[in-house]
Amino acid sequence: MQEFAQQVVSGIAIGGIFASLALALVLIYNAMGLVNFAQGEMAMLATFVAFALINRGMSYWFAFPVTLVLAFVAGIAIQRLVIKPVERGPVLTLVIITLGLATLINGLAGFIFGYVPRSFPSPFSSDSIDLLGVFVSWRDLGVIAVSGLVLLAVYVLLQRTTVGLTMRAAAHHPEASRLLGVQVSWMLALGWGLASAVGTVSGIMVAPILLLEPNMMQSIIIYAFAAAVLGGIESPLGAVIGGILVGLTVNLAGAYLPGVGGDLQLAVGLAIIIAVLLLRPNGLFGRAATRRV
Amino acid sequence: MVSNLLELKEVHAGYGPRAVLHGVSLTVPVGGIVSLLGANGAGKTTTLRTITAGVRWSGDILFAGRSLRRMSTEDVVRAGIAHVPEGRGICTELTVDENLRLGAHLRRDGAEVQKDYDRVFEYFPVLKERRKLSASTLSGGEQQMLALARAILMRPKLMLLDEPSLGLAPIVVRAIFEIIRAINETSGVAVLLVEQNARIALDLSSTAYVLEVGRVAVSGESAQLRGDESVRRSYLGY
Amino acid sequence: MGRLRNSPPRYLLVAVVAVFLIGLPTVISSFQASEWAQALIFAIAIMGLNILVGYSGQLSLGHGAFMALGAYISAILVHRYKLDYLLTIPIAALATGVIGFLFGIPSLRLSALYLALATFALAVVTPTLIKRPAELTGGVQGILVLQPDPPATASDIFSAVTGTSMTSDQWIYYVSLLCLLLLFWLAWNLLRHRPGRAMRAIRDGEVAAAASGVNIAAYKTLAFGISAFYAGTAGSLYGLSTGFVSPDTFPVSLSIQLLVGAVIGGLASIPGPLLGAVVAYFLPIESNQWVPSQTWIPDQIASTLKNAGPAVSYGVLLILIMIFAPNGLVGLVRKGYDLLNRRLRGAGDREAGQLPQDPQTV
Repeated sequence: MQEFAQQVVSGIAIGGIFASLALALVLIYNAMGLVNFAQGEMAMLATFVAFALINRGMSYWFAFPVTLVLAFVAGIAIQRLVIKPVERGPVLTLVIITLGLATLINGLAGFIFGYVPRSFPSPFSSDSIDLLGVFVSWRDLGVIAVSGLVLLAVYVLLQRTTVGLTMRAAAHHPEASRLLGVQVSWMLALGWGLASAVGTVSGIMVAPILLLEPNMMQSIIIYAFAAAVLGGIESPLGAVIGGILVGLTVNLAGAYLPGVGGDLQLAVGLAIIIAVLLLRPNGLFGRAATRRV
Repeated sequence: MVSNLLELKEVHAGYGPRAVLHGVSLTVPVGGIVSLLGANGAGKTTTLRTITAGVRWSGDILFAGRSLRRMSTEDVVRAGIAHVPEGRGICTELTVDENLRLGAHLRRDGAEVQKDYDRVFEYFPVLKERRKLSASTLSGGEQQMLALARAILMRPKLMLLDEPSLGLAPIVVRAIFEIIRAINETSGVAVLLVEQNARIALDLSSTAYVLEVGRVAVSGESAQLRGDESVRRSYLGY
Repeated sequence: MGRLRNSPPRYLLVAVVAVFLIGLPTVISSFQASEWAQALIFAIAIMGLNILVGYSGQLSLGHGAFMALGAYISAILVHRYKLDYLLTIPIAALATGVIGFLFGIPSLRLSALYLALATFALAVVTPTLIKRPAELTGGVQGILVLQPDPPATASDIFSAVTGTSMTSDQWIYYVSLLCLLLLFWLAWNLLRHRPGRAMRAIRDGEVAAAASGVNIAAYKTLAFGISAFYAGTAGSLYGLSTGFVSPDTFPVSLSIQLLVGAVIGGLASIPGPLLGAVVAYFLPIESNQWVPSQTWIPDQIASTLKNAGPAVSYGVLLILIMIFAPNGLVGLVRKGYDLLNRRLRGAGDREAGQLPQDPQTV
């Protein structure tokens, strides 16, 4: 029972990581009707930047927000330079461009930082604490707390501020928003910036677990896809809940199903994607029949 | 001191190679109400769209003396023109309150915004009731009210209204037009009104233009047009 | 003044390329022939991908998985059941085609975006899925494939022409070339006739296509099946060409490489795949060879460049092409032709009433 509770907590922690990346995917999907295949790689590169900053002596809790800001700016830059020119084109063109971006960023990371895996510091100690009779690691709690905070901040930004309102309006109703004086194009850029920053949290949280190297996020993005699809690709809340569910499932499957371990957990992620798409394509919270053609 | 708030000078506009407007000229005086009438397809909606840069155009459009050439839709709107399009443009993914907030989001004068909110809820109490609900739950008439309320909250210098009476019961139409008149009288907002319902439009506006196949066929004071039987019969259908 | 045709005479162009490819091994080394063989194999896979993406508009990012399937089927048949390798090629191709067709059925329900997502996930997980049934697939180590010696007749012809005896690599090149020509002929005929038109109609607008009586489901699944058939052929040949199959031969970057090749060549064009394959295949190799030859680059950087170079160049290429030349190289060539045509005919001479050239017919 003890072990089960521990696995649950770990599952939620890793779920928080998936949820952050999934939320980034959902933000961009809502704004443009496309899945950003480069989201994971963008997070990875930002995490490398954080690594470089920490190596140069910056404290972890200072490097973290600095990296988020840099990621935010980078997200805006990418939208302006690479996405905007083909904004009005077919969605598949945009998807291919994000694939190109993913490849490019992966190569760039390899070029600048090399392929040797590095260990990334965690600000939380690896001790466990006794919580209600269950031994839970500080690390898991820390990840849950940080992910939770970030997700909450995004919620507040989008739902309770004017900027968030105009971003949502621009995403769902671009034409009507223009007639209200909203600078739709810049709102989309902001959306990309926000998504980039949120995704980066996922990278920074997972790096201490996985070892930092250019291919680090390749499996995480699959889990994030699963989370987004499970939650409903249009629903930010769905991304969070989907993330936690996927985290729990994958973790528990890895711990308790015979033969499932390490790399085969990824197949569980794939299975979730396929199952959802076949049985309930709109996910848990998605709306029916909003198929962006 | 510019007496004409809006001036269209020989405007040609169209979608792609097809021109819809062939040299339309009209003016809206500061604080005035002008109606734009004509049959379906005459180019009334296109005229409004042209003003807010939704359509490619040539010629010139002056707003408060300033040319609108090469300005984007958002910038034209930010200059002080509110456009309630046909179809209302309601953001159905958002709540009623959020729609209203979008109307006011560019304004910096907090106290005045609050006054306008009060006014809007006075005119349209149903919006106050349904504040927290999704805008998609509103009926057609209520959505029209929301669109108008939103436009009021923008405190524009000029309002472009595209067929505000469309699909509404006569009693609602009368109420809305009374509100438009009230807004015009109290805040001095100029109105360019596109309408199928020529009778009620001519009652409200001081001058009118009648479009036919993309050109101004007749124009003049509303009172005169109202009285002219031949104009009414050939162009206005009553 | 004479005018250029809108495109060079088709048959002539095909014949020229075919002759070039047939003669190629006689003038290059055996090793280079094996490289070219792999480029041709890529072209086969890309032709398949093109049918799926360019023609029927279904973005599948998992083509590497189909190649893996074809490769492993062949390898297992040879290794366990001692079949002759050449015999396994059509078997693997057919089997993969059938599986692809079956794949197409649930895919019908997915929007293009979800399909891309699901197939991408499949591509990422493929190496894992291969490793598991280790008894069958040889697990991490994979299966070794013995490369056959050239048959006597072929060898004799080759010696008569070049004076040297044919190597395995060269024989494999010719096998690949034969498959390429056959499959090219097949694609050409398919796409110029009803199936091609139907698929294009679907890609351009499903609702309209359905209204004009096109059986959407049938053609979309057919496209999947045919496309997988091609990929299976390519995979099988790939195993033969490299001499072994292992999970690491089919990472997600292979699927991306195929996509890059398809896009560079020009989606929805018949000659595009060959052009794209050659560029996509040789680009990393050439840059890998160029980098070490630059002696001013220190070793660590050089090795990093070798690892990172392909990814960076692929990524940049993909982005630039989608922004500036979404019809790929073939599209650019056509534009060049159009431009030239117009110049020859005299400026200002509008082509009244002429429909824009259908990019699908070569």
